[in-house]
Amino acid sequence: MGAERGKKRQKVCGYHRTKRPAVNRFLDVEAEVDEDEEDEEDEDEYARDEFVVGGEVEEDDLARRAADHARFDRRERELDDQDLAKIAEDVSQRYRRTAVRYSGDMSDIPQRLLMPSVHDANLWQVRVRPGKERDLVFSLMRKALDLEYSNRPLQILSAFQRDSLPGMIYVEARSAKQVSEACNGLVGIYPSRGIVLVPIEEMASLLQIKKQDLTVTPGSWVRIRRGKYQGDLAQVMDITENGEEVGLKFIPRIDLNPKDDGAIDAMGKKRKKGANGVSSFSMRPPQRFFNYEEAIKVYGRKAVSKRNQVYVFQNDTYKDGFIEKDFRLTALQLDNVNPTLDEITRFTRGQDGAENESNVDLSIIAEASRKAAISVLQPGDHVEVFEGEQAGVHGTVHSVEQDIVTIEPVGVDFDGQRIQIPARSVRKRFKPGDHVKVMTGQNADETGLVVSVVDNVVTFLSDMSMQEVSVFSKDLREAAEVGTGTNVVGNYELHDLVQLDLQTVGVIFKTERDSFRVLDQNGQVRLVQPHQISMRRDSNRAIATDSEGHELRVNDNVKEIDGEGRKGRVLHTHQSFFAFLHNRDYNENGGVFVTRARSLVSLAPKGNVMKLGAADLSKMNPALSGGAMGGMVGSGNIGRGPRDRLIGVTVTIVKGPQKGYVGTIKDTNGPIARVELVTNNKIISIDKSKLKRRNPNGTLEALESAMGPPRNSYNSNGPKTPNPYAGNRTPWGGAATRTPNPYDSSRTPAWNASARTPNPYDNGGKTPAWNASARTPNPYAAGSQTPAWNASARSPRNPYNAQGGTTPRPNSTWGGATPAWGASSPRRETTSGGWNSSGGWGDALSWGEPANAQTPGVAFTPGADGFAAQTPGAFEGPYETFRTPGAMFNPMASAPTPAPQTTGISHSNAGAYELSERWLLDSEIVDQVRGIAVKIQGSSSKWYNGQYEAKTGVVLSILNTHNEQFGTTATVKFDEPLDPSQSTLQVPVDVLMPVHPLKSKDEVMILYGAHKGQLATVGLIEPTGMMIVTTQSYLVEEIHADRLVVVRKDI
Amino acid sequence: MSNQNTAAIPPQPRAKALRACLLCSIIQTPADFRKHGCPNCEELMQMKGYPDRIQACTTTHFDGVIAVIDPEQSWIARWQRTSKYVRGMYAVRVKGRVPEDVEAELESRGIKYRPRDQSEQD
Repeated sequence: MGAERGKKRQKVCGYHRTKRPAVNRFLDVEAEVDEDEEDEEDEDEYARDEFVVGGEVEEDDLARRAADHARFDRRERELDDQDLAKIAEDVSQRYRRTAVRYSGDMSDIPQRLLMPSVHDANLWQVRVRPGKERDLVFSLMRKALDLEYSNRPLQILSAFQRDSLPGMIYVEARSAKQVSEACNGLVGIYPSRGIVLVPIEEMASLLQIKKQDLTVTPGSWVRIRRGKYQGDLAQVMDITENGEEVGLKFIPRIDLNPKDDGAIDAMGKKRKKGANGVSSFSMRPPQRFFNYEEAIKVYGRKAVSKRNQVYVFQNDTYKDGFIEKDFRLTALQLDNVNPTLDEITRFTRGQDGAENESNVDLSIIAEASRKAAISVLQPGDHVEVFEGEQAGVHGTVHSVEQDIVTIEPVGVDFDGQRIQIPARSVRKRFKPGDHVKVMTGQNADETGLVVSVVDNVVTFLSDMSMQEVSVFSKDLREAAEVGTGTNVVGNYELHDLVQLDLQTVGVIFKTERDSFRVLDQNGQVRLVQPHQISMRRDSNRAIATDSEGHELRVNDNVKEIDGEGRKGRVLHTHQSFFAFLHNRDYNENGGVFVTRARSLVSLAPKGNVMKLGAADLSKMNPALSGGAMGGMVGSGNIGRGPRDRLIGVTVTIVKGPQKGYVGTIKDTNGPIARVELVTNNKIISIDKSKLKRRNPNGTLEALESAMGPPRNSYNSNGPKTPNPYAGNRTPWGGAATRTPNPYDSSRTPAWNASARTPNPYDNGGKTPAWNASARTPNPYAAGSQTPAWNASARSPRNPYNAQGGTTPRPNSTWGGATPAWGASSPRRETTSGGWNSSGGWGDALSWGEPANAQTPGVAFTPGADGFAAQTPGAFEGPYETFRTPGAMFNPMASAPTPAPQTTGISHSNAGAYELSERWLLDSEIVDQVRGIAVKIQGSSSKWYNGQYEAKTGVVLSILNTHNEQFGTTATVKFDEPLDPSQSTLQVPVDVLMPVHPLKSKDEVMILYGAHKGQLATVGLIEPTGMMIVTTQSYLVEEIHADRLVVVRKDI
Repeated sequence: MSNQNTAAIPPQPRAKALRACLLCSIIQTPADFRKHGCPNCEELMQMKGYPDRIQACTTTHFDGVIAVIDPEQSWIARWQRTSKYVRGMYAVRVKGRVPEDVEAELESRGIKYRPRDQSEQD
C-alpha cells in the first residue's frame, strides 16, 4: 500500500509539475518534490499531507485550482480502494491536520519546555564591530547558503543579534571551531577577541531581552527627534493600527520670510516626498500658530486651500493654528519628554493668544507630569493619595519600590499600618504656610512660602521677588533655606558697580532669578533687568578723597564722620564723590549703602602715614609738587605737576615687611611711593627711604641719586623763597638727571663749564664767580666781573640760579666726559666741601685761606682750560702751584675713602669717584674677578672687627646674591692670613678695595672708562700718577693708577 | 539541511524597509512579501500581491535578527517556534498583533495565537 501510494504521488507530482511553470514560478516546487521523494519512507499519511499542503500554500487561484484537480483525480482513484467511511475520516483528518500544520504543534508547547538542554548546540558570543551586527548576521546567512552545496558547508545552525547588545553577535554551533570557520573572511568580526561560550542557562534570556516598552496613547506628549521641528513638543492625536505612525498636533514653524519663490517651490516639492525639514535647520523659523491671512500674504492665495475646518498648506494640514501631521514612531522621542509649563501653556492657549490665558487646563499638565512624579518621590516626603480607593489619605513615604510607594498614613483610622499605593496615584502634599524650595525647572532654587495648593499645582510667594510663582508639587521640596545659591546673573555679579543710564550708576546688592536690586548713587533702590544695565564699571583705580584729604580707595575700611557714623568697606567710588560701602551688619539693602566720600574717614592706620601734611599738600598743589619733584616748576606748565621722574623706576624694598621685594614705582606722593610689586602684582604705599633704585644689572643705588642735591637744596630753599629764578633751575636739574654718569655729575658745573667753554669771557667770568659767590663779601671778585655776576654775587642764596641763568649752555656740554678728569676730581672735592653745607655758606667762608690765593685762582682757570685741552705744558706750572698750596686737595689722596659718599650730594652714590663699594660686582668686572688683588678697607665695623684691615689678597670668586641685604661675598685668598691654616675667607665685597698698580709691567684691569674690565699691562708711569697701559688688544691708554687694579696670575 | 525551503534573503540588511511577519516573524523586504507572500503563513495571511495586507500583517517594528540556517536542528529556531518554517531571516521580537481576521481564523482552527512581542511568557 505504501509503495502504491508512493507511485500515485509520483504521478500526481508529475502532473503537477507540468502544470506549474505555466501558472507560476515558485521555487518551492522543486523543493516540494525533493521533500516528497526523501520522505517516501515516512509514514504515508504524513507524507501525503505534506504534499497536499504544499499545493495549498500556493495562493494563486490557478495554482489552487490545479491542485484541486490533482486532488480530485487522486480522490477518485482512492474511492475505488476505500469505503466511504474511511474517506470521510480521511477528509476530516486532512483538513484538520492542514490547519494545524500551519503553526505546527510548536505553539502548544509552553516555552519553559523549550529550554535548551545539553543535547542542543551551544551558543557562542562573537565580538564584532559595533553597528555591523545586523549586516554580519545577514552575511552569515548568505554565506551559509552559498556554501551549502560546497565541500565545506557551514556547520553553524543559526546566528542572531540583538539591538540592545551592541558589538556582539551570537552563533549557534556545536563547537567553537565551526564558529570561527563561519566567521572566517567576514569583515567586522573579531574572532581574535574570543569566541565565548554562552552558558546554557543564559541562552534563553538572550532571546528574551525586552526593551522598555514605550507606549503612546492619544493625548500623551512626545518630542520630535529630527528635522525642522526637532525638539518641539507635540501631542499625540491618534495612532495607526500597527503602532508605527502617530498623528501629532504641534505648533508649526512656517517661514514667513522665504528667500524667493523658486526656493519655496523646490522646498515644497521636497516636502511632498517626506523630506520635511531638509531646509537648513539653522534658519528654522520660530514657532508660530498658523494664520491663514499671514500665509496667503506671503505665499499667495493659491498656496492655501480650505477644506471644512482645516487648511491645507504645502501638503500639511492645519487646524486651529496647529499643524497636524503623521510621524513615524521612530522619529519621536517618547521618554523624558518633560513638557514645561510654558510649552503646555502655549499649547492650551492655542491660536487665540492671551484670550484664555488664565484658565490653563492644568489637568493636561497634571497628566504630563504624573509620570515624572514617580521618580521624584523620596522616603520622608509628605504625600497624599488623590485617586483610587484610598483617595484623600495622606502620610509620609516610607519606601519606594519601583512603582509602588509604601506610605504611613496619618490619621486616627490608621494605627501604624502601612499601605501600598501605586506611585502615580500619589502626589506631594504641601499646605499653605509651608516653606518650600523649587528643585528643578526654570524656577529652580527659588524659595518661598506656600500660599495655595490646587491639586498638584502649588503657588508660593517667592522670598526673593515677592511674587507668586506656580509650580508643580513634584518640583518642590520643603526647605528651610532662603534665597538663591547664585550671585551671578548674566555678566553681572553681586556688588558690581553698574551704569544704569548716563547719570546714574548703582551697586548690585541683591540678585534674583533674572533681575537685580540696585542701589543707585542717590540712595534709591531699583529693580533692574540685566538688559537695562548698559555696562559694568570698574572703580578699582578710582580715587576719592576722604574728609581728611586722604586717598580713598576700594576696599578701604572707613567710617562716616557725620550722620549715622556707619562703618563699612568701600565697594566702589564714583566720580570721586560717592562712595558705596558695604557692611554685613546692616540688613537694609543687603548691607550696601551710599554716602559721600567727603564724609568718610579711614579706619585703617595707614591714614597716619598719609597725614604728612606737606607731602599731601604738595601733591595737591601743582606749583609745589613741581618743587617737590625736582624743580620743574619753571617749565611753565601750570596745570598738573609733571610726571615724577621716579615713576616707572624699578626699585627694591630694603626695609620693612616687604624687604627684598622688587617693584616699580607707580606714583609718588611726597615721601611716599606707591610701588607695584613684581611678585604679586599688588600696589603698596611705602616710604621712599625704604626703596633703592635697582639697576638692570641687579645692583642697587639710592633712589634719588641723580637729582638728590638739587632736590635737597631746593627743598630747603624753594618753599622759603618762591623766587623768580625758579625757571633757571630747570636746566640744572634736567642736566643732572640727564647725565646719570656719576663722573659727569660729580664734576662741579664751574669746572666743566670752564673746561669746555673756550670763551675767555665765560671762563674768566665764571670761575671767579664761583669764588665770588663763595666769598660773597669779597669785593674784588665782584668788581672784576661783569655786572651780572655782581648781581649774583649779591644774592648768595641762589648761587645756582645765577650760574645757571647766565650760562645755560654748559648744560648741553656736560654730557661729554672730558679727559680732564684727574684735575677735575680735586676740584670737585673742593667744592663739595662747600656744598655739603648748602644751608650755610659759612663753611665756604672758611675758605678764607684759599681766598687769599685769589690771584692764583685767576690763573687757575686757564689752567683748567688748558688741562682740558690736554696740553698741560704751559699751564702745568701755575696749576701745580695753585694746587700745591691748596689744602683742600688733600681729599684727593683719600679719594677712595667712603667719605665723599656721605656728603649727601647727588653724586654720593656714584661713589668715590670711580669706585663704588661694590665695584667688584660691576657687570664688566664681575665675570673676571679671579686674580684681582684686593685689600681690606673699612672693615672695622663690618667684618672681623677690622682684624683684617689693610690685609691684601686675591679674589678667587664672587657669590653674588644680587641683593644688598644679603651680603654679596667674595672668596679671597689672603697673602698673610691671620690663621695660616685658613688663608681663604669669605669677605663682603664692600670692604674690598682694589690694589692699585705701583710699578711698570704690572698686570692690571681697567676699572673705568671705555675699556673698563679689560686686562692691560702697565707701561710708563708718570709722576702725576698717570700710567700708560697697553691693553690686550694693544690699545694704549693713559689712565690714572686709581683706575687700575692689579691682577695676579700667580694664584 | 538541503531539504529545506529558503526564504528570500533581503539584500540590504540596513534597509529600513525590512518588514517582519507578525505571525511567523520572518524578515523580508516589502517587495518579497508582495511577490511571494510569507513563505510560512501565506495561507492565512494572504499577502501576496496585496500591499495593504502586507502593511497590516507585517511591521518594521522588530528587534533582533536571527539567521536560521538549520531550523530543524537549531535550538534557537525551536525556542522561537520557527523550526518548522523555511530557512531565512527571522526577528527575535516583533511588535504588534496580527489582524483580527487572522486571529479569528486561528482561533477557529484551534490554534493558539502567540504574539511575538514577548508580552506573554509561559
